[in-house]
Amino acid sequence: MERVLKDDAVQEKGERARMASFVGAMAIADLVKTTLGPKGMDKILQSTGRGRTVTVTNDGATILKSLHIDNPAAKVLVDISKVQDDEVGDGTTSVVVLAGELLREAEKLVNMKIHPMTIIAGYRMAAECARNALLQKTMDNGENTDKFRSDLMNIAMTTLSSKILSQDKEYFAELAVDAVLRLKGSTNLESIQILKKPGGSLKDSFLDEGFILDKKIGLGQPKRIENANILVANTAMDTDKVKIYGARVRVDSMSKVADIEAAEKQKMREKVNKIIGHGINCFVNRQLIYNFPEELFADAGILAVEHADFEGIERLALVTGGDIASTFDNPESVKLGHCKLIEEIMIGEDRLIHFSGVAMGQACTIVLRGASEHVLDEAERSLHDALCVLSQTVKDTRVIFGGGWPEMVMAKEVDELARKTPGKKSHAIDAFSRALQAIPTIIADNAGLDSAELISQLRAEHHKENSTAGIDVITGGLGDMQKRGICEAFKVKQAIILSATEAAEMILRVDEIITCAPRRREDRM
Amino acid sequence: MAAVAATPFRKTETYTDTKRRDDVRGVNIAASCAVADAVRTSLGPRGMDKMISSGDNEVTITNDGATIVSLMALLQPAARMLADVSRSQDAAAGDGTTSVVVLAGSLLRRAQCLIAAGAHPTAVADSLHRLAARAVEVLEGMAIPVELSDRDSLVKSASTALNSKVVSQYSSLLAPLAVDAALSVVDPAHPQLLDLRGIRIVKKLGGTVDDTELVRGLIFDKKASHAAGGPSRIENAKIAVIQFQVSPPKTDIEQSVIVSDYAQMDRILREERNYILGMVKKIKASGCNVLLIQKSILRDAVTDLSLHYLAKAKILVVKDVERDEVEFVTKTLNCLPIANIEHFRQDKLGHADLVEEVSVGDGKIVKITGIKDMGRTATVLVRGSNQLVIDEADRSLHDALCVIRCLVNKRFLIAGGGAPEIEMSMQLAAWAKELHGMESYCIKEFADALEVIPYTLAENAGLSPITVVTELRNRHAKGEKNTGINVRKGQITDILEENVVQPLLVSTSAITLACECVRMILKIDDIVTVR
Repeated sequence: MERVLKDDAVQEKGERARMASFVGAMAIADLVKTTLGPKGMDKILQSTGRGRTVTVTNDGATILKSLHIDNPAAKVLVDISKVQDDEVGDGTTSVVVLAGELLREAEKLVNMKIHPMTIIAGYRMAAECARNALLQKTMDNGENTDKFRSDLMNIAMTTLSSKILSQDKEYFAELAVDAVLRLKGSTNLESIQILKKPGGSLKDSFLDEGFILDKKIGLGQPKRIENANILVANTAMDTDKVKIYGARVRVDSMSKVADIEAAEKQKMREKVNKIIGHGINCFVNRQLIYNFPEELFADAGILAVEHADFEGIERLALVTGGDIASTFDNPESVKLGHCKLIEEIMIGEDRLIHFSGVAMGQACTIVLRGASEHVLDEAERSLHDALCVLSQTVKDTRVIFGGGWPEMVMAKEVDELARKTPGKKSHAIDAFSRALQAIPTIIADNAGLDSAELISQLRAEHHKENSTAGIDVITGGLGDMQKRGICEAFKVKQAIILSATEAAEMILRVDEIITCAPRRREDRM
Repeated sequence: MAAVAATPFRKTETYTDTKRRDDVRGVNIAASCAVADAVRTSLGPRGMDKMISSGDNEVTITNDGATIVSLMALLQPAARMLADVSRSQDAAAGDGTTSVVVLAGSLLRRAQCLIAAGAHPTAVADSLHRLAARAVEVLEGMAIPVELSDRDSLVKSASTALNSKVVSQYSSLLAPLAVDAALSVVDPAHPQLLDLRGIRIVKKLGGTVDDTELVRGLIFDKKASHAAGGPSRIENAKIAVIQFQVSPPKTDIEQSVIVSDYAQMDRILREERNYILGMVKKIKASGCNVLLIQKSILRDAVTDLSLHYLAKAKILVVKDVERDEVEFVTKTLNCLPIANIEHFRQDKLGHADLVEEVSVGDGKIVKITGIKDMGRTATVLVRGSNQLVIDEADRSLHDALCVIRCLVNKRFLIAGGGAPEIEMSMQLAAWAKELHGMESYCIKEFADALEVIPYTLAENAGLSPITVVTELRNRHAKGEKNTGINVRKGQITDILEENVVQPLLVSTSAITLACECVRMILKIDDIVTVR
């Protein structure tokens, strides 16, 4: 046969191709499987790059994001976990595990000589049915503020219980709910700033209204300003240099050099005067402020902050309602930021600048304290997940129970559907129900519980109408999810089901993998 | 995959796990224990020192746990977490950096036995969390409140920290020094806070540790620049901190002076002289007689010519003050930095009774004393016969200062000498008997693990560890809460009478940090290599 492809390209067909994608996807699912649930384990991520940095996490998205992956099917799973992270922020592990289980079941069916397209059709019907089943069981307390708040608390605690913050979950749930409710329905998490400060313990973390900038106030400048007008800028405060290479001045005497130096100083002074002319009493610059302008600001009684990082000034401009300025010729066209009070505060041993009473009322800062960088990083990731889920829940107020409850509800409905459906599709629908039940199985296994026993009990319990039973990992038996207050956002669960099914479908459809010839580097010797 | 197939048939309560995961956990625990064993011998007043030779042949001799583990080039991720915990302890309490590592190692070893016996790692981790909370309660029950005005108690706890160091024979000198330095920095507005950045330690080779002193004022580890014979001692000094340069002008834009004939050259030289003279006159006019010049990378801070004029004007010059030091200096002198000659005004100057250049060892330093309205800072001049001793003295002093800081934050003292650990171990073991199930079993094990501290203390002191530990248990069971190992006498006594005390914060933070670290290591079941 004539070669159609380039020399180095590899082609895998039919059974082999499907095999390769199944194996890849399941390997990924198995890797993150142990992190699922409140008693899930952590992983060390050891980087091979410079510094060999170590991260300890049980956040599925973080683990998958940093993996080396060569298998195309595995990449699909990594992508859905990333999308899940961006869309709803939580359930990143569940979605991968569910997709993996769906493929594991599909593999068995394919071995039974059922055509992939039939499986896909069955999966689609099952997914639709599962979603509807869940939809009917949702609870919506969006109208009742108090109840809704307790819903949010429950969701936050459920999300946090699988993370490092689990020991102080009530405390952090409170923090996260307060922060999200301040947003008043917007999902823009940018106005919630998370600041990490090593030292103290996790319990010392707190929520602060306003904005904190991790910078120092210049020497000899006021440390406290009320009713501040803030100019946020990105401008060079050394000298405005001519940016042409080789520009130079030629003079014939020393006094002229002195004159030029004086002129440069004068220019700086004018620039500072222009800035002061905006009627401000606080100036925040992204670039360095040199000694000379710093002293000028100090003399004018203006609080000047130099070298604020890019993210810092953007956020500061956002929350104080100002613009980031870089020219100062038209004071009337520059929007200044406002806040009621700027003062220097101490967190641990560091001095920081605190802006309170900012123009954008919903802004707030969560200051995380913890023993080490590892703890802080992981705490930030956990808190971020909780904040994402909560902000999504505020938008879509439907809530369901957790702890394996939704999976069992769906499995029950899907089972019914399988019985009603004639034809080979019913095998696939059956398989879908088994895959759904695998999630509570894994949660139980991770907690060291007897999963076979528990799941059969749970199934029996769910055979009754309107059961609220789920797995209670803490006591190691079945529990009433309503009493335990274990809740999840409907939106998260829905996203898990739909995107896992979609991913499984996509991988099932593959019957040929073509690995393109790698692009050659030309030898430059 | 075999594990998944097998799961439905398992009906025991044991942890169903794959082989690989057990391996990873085992490797992690083994690596961490190796680190703990390495620092174990340096615990306590009779602990040994380690000599660490780094890749570039730098030698460090220390028995400071944090320093040892941070200098060991650790690669294994779990071992590095243990190093991190020691660093955290250093940041939180400053002392007890060895204890925290030894404790974590001992707890991990027990945890491994528990897991091998079939306990689920999360169950072990959870009981460890409860244990930590309870242990802190026990410690708080033992604590003795202390007032900052009680200088004796502060000195006692500082000397406990110093006793385990190379410089222990100087503890009678260094401990009061550390206390005085620390107390002079405490701001009455924030009595709960002690900012150690307000204390500067200047190291100078020569002399012995005995010559270490606390200076109420400021020290520069530099010579006064008197190339042209300027003064080296000024009384009633008016000090200016300047951020500009006393040298020929230089523009930011590139410039060149073109000389076309000889007469012009003469004129340029004259102009240069006039320019500098003008500056010096302005400086003199403000009454300033001591000039501290910030280092500049752009141009020379001073030239021979300007030094000459400044010397003529009887102004003492210290050049090359680092930019990050300027804040400390201005805070101490209670003055403002001056960035431009035009702003050179009298109200920006600082005042001091005496500025003088003193020869110390082979070098010279500039000392500023009797500062008017001095800021809340302190400077300690550390001396020693060789660099290694000086470095170790510096580290020990840091530990002592941290001890005082702990006491400022949390004003409680606790007995040392292994007494708190034995007490915790006893009380926790008793508590374990009230609990049920796995938790009770785990806490019993971990309570035993705490005995590693007195055991190691005794071992390092050359006593028989088993006799000592059993005797300690015996005495504590009789209710003598403060009985500990008196290493100096080699026997067991009431440790409070021997004045061996340490801040409560050191002990509480050591136990909580060690538990947190162990929990983290236990929960890891895989090491994934990533980009």
